[in-house]
Amino acid sequence: MTTTDTPLLRVRDLTVSFPTAQGPVDVVKSLDFDLPRGGALGIVGESGSGKSMTSLAIMGLLPKGATRTGSVEFAGTELTQLRERAMRSVRGDRIAMIFQDPLSSLNPYYTVGAQIIEAYRAHRGGVTRRQARAVAIEAMERVHINDAARRVDHYPHQFSGGMRQRVMIAMTLSMEPELIIADEPTTALDVTVQAQILDLLAEIRADTGAGLILITHDLAVVSEVTDHIVVMREGDLVEQGPAERIFTDPQEPYTRMLLDAVPRIDDEIGTLRTTTTEEAR
Amino acid sequence: MNERREPLLRASNLVKEFAVHGGGIFGRAGRLRAVDDVSFEVGVGETLALVGESGSGKSTTARLIARLIDTTSGTIEFAGREVHALNGKALHAFRSEVQVVFQDPYSSLNPKHTVERIVTAPLAYQRRPIPGGARAYTGALMERVGLNPDHSGRFPAQFSGGQAQRIGIARALAVSPRLIVADEAVSALDVSVQAQVINLLRRLQDEEGFSYLFIAHDLAVVRQIATRVAVMNGGRIVETGDRDQVFGAPRDDYTKKLLAAVPRIRPEWDAARRRNERARREREDAES
Repeated sequence: MTTTDTPLLRVRDLTVSFPTAQGPVDVVKSLDFDLPRGGALGIVGESGSGKSMTSLAIMGLLPKGATRTGSVEFAGTELTQLRERAMRSVRGDRIAMIFQDPLSSLNPYYTVGAQIIEAYRAHRGGVTRRQARAVAIEAMERVHINDAARRVDHYPHQFSGGMRQRVMIAMTLSMEPELIIADEPTTALDVTVQAQILDLLAEIRADTGAGLILITHDLAVVSEVTDHIVVMREGDLVEQGPAERIFTDPQEPYTRMLLDAVPRIDDEIGTLRTTTTEEAR
Repeated sequence: MNERREPLLRASNLVKEFAVHGGGIFGRAGRLRAVDDVSFEVGVGETLALVGESGSGKSTTARLIARLIDTTSGTIEFAGREVHALNGKALHAFRSEVQVVFQDPYSSLNPKHTVERIVTAPLAYQRRPIPGGARAYTGALMERVGLNPDHSGRFPAQFSGGQAQRIGIARALAVSPRLIVADEAVSALDVSVQAQVINLLRRLQDEEGFSYLFIAHDLAVVRQIATRVAVMNGGRIVETGDRDQVFGAPRDDYTKKLLAAVPRIRPEWDAARRRNERARREREDAES
């Protein structure tokens, strides 16, 4: 197999289980999907769909007690077989993750610059502090943080929510990852800030060719950002396909229900259709 | 518009300031003007949506209207009476006529009380008799908001988020309000559940004729429910208008920016989906 036709990420039969008093419960059930190089994949679902567990399973970051089975092949490497040490160098270095709440991902006691520098040097041996600082400032400039040379010495609380998310993206960017996994990256942000962050992610993908997995509950966001969509519900993959096909010709009743339930900003106003009504119960 | 009846609610020149600390150790106490000269009206049976981003002052305005906090200056008239001058019996009446539904149903419902106790609490608090008895009254309210009346003895934690929000709505309905202040009432719900609760809120308004002051950051949701829209930014209302005017022909630059930022599913994709849906139904009909 040549590198060109190997997908960047190939997930097969991925299952995540949690032990409970009633026996193990599968929160992700036998998932299969591919992300081509440079592609953008959206994983959408409501709460409890297993979408976030899927991303943690890919990264090998599942909470204690959870078990993962199946295959996660990243650029030809089987991640499930890697030892923790090797996995740690893949994480952050080649696969970067952006979470919903940047404040909880940043240490409040260190300047953002110190954190970018530390992360960078942890993954790039033999880099001096001075060199890493230059990388940090450059990365902050690339995410359009004004006055980066001064802002690099500021603490997380001195940034707004949107700016903190930019810092997180700057941190991931400094590593030049091949894959970015963004889990609800704009959910906590105001709509105007969300638009800026989504534009920024698109710009970075265009510049670096990194692949993107965007995990969200927001169908409108995935429709704008991703070209392939996986719909999840209660751990199951409901359906997947090219974005246009999912939005114009959904095959599954659940996908159709979701699309009917989304209030539109520019389409007809009427009773929002709800096929599986709670009222019926 | 000028021929409209006397509004149910009229807020005039509302100001709310909070004391804040200035920057640094020696920072002096300053004042933050969260609501800055805000005026609006809510007519009988209509829904005024207050929209804005975080820090716009929309939730503070909601709290002023429900008299959960005091104004710094300005007046609020409800049914012709100055709200902040009310006391005694008149204040009690106001507390039933204006009900609030909050964003997080679990934190606004006492976890140790049954649905029956929660829903009838506004009546008990006002020492009003419960028509037909607590059990029957709760059951009837639960049915109206789409909950199983047999579950009136259950506790909030035994319900899903959408169901818990319905309990909050049932509690608001218990005292036959004239105005419901809904503060991000559907924001925390999953999209399928959110659609059900939006439909429920609209249906109840059709049945009862009460008004909503609907506070939300989600413009697409607001468009489904609002009669009129007031856009807030930095404590001020930058634009007020009928729904279709604000969404279709916004005048203010900030409103335009806000609308442009909303992520959207391509209308041509929606149109194609409706065509495919129709074709599918015809195919299914032909087969059966």
